[in-house]
Amino acid sequence: MSDEIKVDKHMDLKGLPCPMPVVKVSKGIKEVELGQVIEAVTTDPGSLTDFPAWARTSGNEILKSEQDGETIRFYIKRTA
Amino acid sequence: MDQKTRDDLLTLFQSKLNEAMRFYLETCTRCGTCTEACHAYASMGQVKYIAAYRHEIIRRIYKKYFKGRGKVWPSVGEAKELNEMALEELYEAAWSCTGCRRCMVYCPFGVDTQMLMSIAKLLLVGASAEPEILTLLADTSIEKGKSLELYKEGFLAGLKRLEEEVVKGWQMEAGETVIPVDVEGADLLYVALAGAHSIVPAAVVFNAARENWTLSFFEAVNFGAFVGDPTRTKLILDRIINEATRLKVKEVCICECGTAYRVMQQLAGRRPFKVSSITDVQARYIREGRIKLSRSTFKGSITYHDPCQMARNAGVIDAPRFILRHLTDDFREMTDDIRYNWCCGGGGGLVALGEDTLDFRMKSSRIKTEQVQETGAQILATACENCHTQLENLNDHYKMGVKVRFLSSMVADALVA
Ligand code: SF4
Ligand code: SF4
Repeated sequence: MSDEIKVDKHMDLKGLPCPMPVVKVSKGIKEVELGQVIEAVTTDPGSLTDFPAWARTSGNEILKSEQDGETIRFYIKRTA
Repeated sequence: MDQKTRDDLLTLFQSKLNEAMRFYLETCTRCGTCTEACHAYASMGQVKYIAAYRHEIIRRIYKKYFKGRGKVWPSVGEAKELNEMALEELYEAAWSCTGCRRCMVYCPFGVDTQMLMSIAKLLLVGASAEPEILTLLADTSIEKGKSLELYKEGFLAGLKRLEEEVVKGWQMEAGETVIPVDVEGADLLYVALAGAHSIVPAAVVFNAARENWTLSFFEAVNFGAFVGDPTRTKLILDRIINEATRLKVKEVCICECGTAYRVMQQLAGRRPFKVSSITDVQARYIREGRIKLSRSTFKGSITYHDPCQMARNAGVIDAPRFILRHLTDDFREMTDDIRYNWCCGGGGGLVALGEDTLDFRMKSSRIKTEQVQETGAQILATACENCHTQLENLNDHYKMGVKVRFLSSMVADALVA
């Protein structure tokens, strides 16, 4: 987990193929309040482009993404 | 529903009324031949899943607002007002139909349920009553096309993570590019899905065949087509056509995604390149001696599920069988006539709706499960992402005990030098 960012909801999306990580995160973001943050962990390399494009389209904000071996970790703030 | 909304929706309806659509709307004689054709009806026995019942709702709205011309026109039932309730019925009809067109093969007039359901889907988009996640996914794809520079770095970083696996599948000479991208003058542009499973095995086979290829920046899947929005469908398609034109490739090869292949094949219009499915391309490599496969890689019998959008609706029938004959001595057909193959029950966007449609997908596809089990095969191969996900779900749900595999990855696994 990131030290600086306060996470309100964790989503383990490891092993899910595209487009399921985006589908799940779209639902998940609606389950937190505006301004709250989701930490989503994927293994799908496509999410490196899909998540930023989804965030721009849906009006949410990716605060940070980290790659660590197999996993990719996104911190997404609900802003829409 | 207010008058303005209704008028707007009727304008959308009108935009769909070409000659073929009018024929489908005015010709059904309610003969009932299509009754047993739909897997949802065959599996669940509910009248609302009969193809002709699904179109009847659209036909009645047509009768109320548009002028019919067909001879059998009087056989259409009561005229129906387009209102909120009608929208709910349209949703039920269209979003339980996979667009597999099995019913069309049975219909003596060739009434195309998928085309008729495209009216329902368009009206739902117009009324903002479509499954919104599909529109969001479509818009995400369009956004990638508009602002490619923003996403390039992420895309290339994603590919870097896959290179090692590709080399494991087929050794490259030092200095050779493992996953080429943006290569002007390449012979073939491969359009994959975003996941490793769609890129790695394909890359292995292209490299083994010494193909002069390049990977598309864009994913093949067209969520605009799933949601039934022609404008979004075209914007998503255009990203790939523009890339192929810019790179001056001779061939665009679509990954194992039935809808993507059919959309590219049938909606791309005049284009300076040939469109192929990866199944066709891999069969060609075998035929030309560019790759060789071992028949002993896979133990046990193999059956093949023809994705409706590849086989019945786009004619990719011989290539997978040709490949399978090079993979096994024990290939088992599911059906004598591929045109009548049962749909897996996952197409038309249902699989992309994930858990929301899971219960219906499992119940409506019991008949598919029986068809698979009757073959007695241990491996169930297919060549479409949607079908693969749905068949895996069915395998878990009905405990079929088969191994579901992508045909292209079986080719990669069976490569011999
Ligand atoms: S197109 Fe397929 S799913 Fe739709 S009604 Fe016909 S048989 Fe059923
Ligand atoms: S088979 Fe064709 S004509 Fe007969 S009921 Fe079905 S759609 Fe109508």
